[in-house]
Amino acid sequence: MSWLQVAVSQSNEDIFDEDADEMYLLQKEWNSTMKKRLKEGYRDGIEAGKELALQKGFNQGYRHGAKLMITCGHFKGTLNALLSWCHFNRHDSALSTINNLLDVIGKHEEDVLKCLNSAEEQPHLGHILDSVQDMDLNHTAGTEYKEVKDGKHKKCGSCDDNICRKNGEVGSWQSECSKANLCTDPDKSTLAWVQKQTVWLVEQLGLSPDTLHHIQQLEH
Amino acid sequence: MADLFEGIVMAEQRFHGEGYQEGYEEGSHAGMAEGRRHGALHGARMGSEIGSYLGFALTWHCLLQKCTDEKNSKRIRALDSLIGMIQKFPYEDPTYDKLQEDLEKIRGKFKQVCSMLNIQSDFRIGTERSSLTF
Repeated sequence: MSWLQVAVSQSNEDIFDEDADEMYLLQKEWNSTMKKRLKEGYRDGIEAGKELALQKGFNQGYRHGAKLMITCGHFKGTLNALLSWCHFNRHDSALSTINNLLDVIGKHEEDVLKCLNSAEEQPHLGHILDSVQDMDLNHTAGTEYKEVKDGKHKKCGSCDDNICRKNGEVGSWQSECSKANLCTDPDKSTLAWVQKQTVWLVEQLGLSPDTLHHIQQLEH
Repeated sequence: MADLFEGIVMAEQRFHGEGYQEGYEEGSHAGMAEGRRHGALHGARMGSEIGSYLGFALTWHCLLQKCTDEKNSKRIRALDSLIGMIQKFPYEDPTYDKLQEDLEKIRGKFKQVCSMLNIQSDFRIGTERSSLTF
């Protein structure tokens, strides 16, 4: 008898039919207008946020890149000076050694650059956490998510080990994250090795203690 | 009626504001990442160049200490001046307004020092193999 119920309820509504239609239309119009405002606001917000953050990000990145690369530069300049000195003083046997060390520094510099380029691209923590939540993980992970989200600005490496450990599926992100961390700090042992080789070379050439001291002072 | 109208305007503003807030956050993250990447590459280029000049100048300064003839003391004075310029230069500060101007002066001094030492100034510094060309 459901058809009867439908018919009755329809006839009951009939009394307000005209108003209901109008209300429905108004509601619809209202919703679409507000949706439009929301979208407009979003677009304006994106533009404003981006514009402001670009310069701030540039300045931060610049300082980071400059400090990271000055060390490579010190080594490069030092080796170049030694190369020209050996060239003038006919220490031909040392030339190829220095050239090799310069190649190592050049390669290292390229690695640092590549890593700077990719490390700065790492996704924002909030976005990752949002997708972690989307994965509909268990309850504990959910609360941890909240805790982490509250402390949003903690550093990437330490903050959400917990989540990664508890949920195997997210493990791949953890490795992404640690890779990014490593990348901002590429293998410093390369520079230490170059320094050792240079010290040895300077000793072999019998250069002044000043020169030796300068090379030992190079930071890496 | 006026209240109703006001209510509508307020609601429109509220929705616009909500959208703005969300967009602003998204935009900030995107802008930050993009800015950092560009900045890092520019900073790296500057660090590498300035570091090279300093390493070069300090090493030659040490190498020349042994001989004290007129020609060498001239060279040492030029090296001193180059080292002084570099050490005063805030290479890591992108907001320093004379960054480019001072860099050009340092480049000029470096070229002068190189010619006094009879070295070509493009001597391995910024070779074609390196992705950092000055």
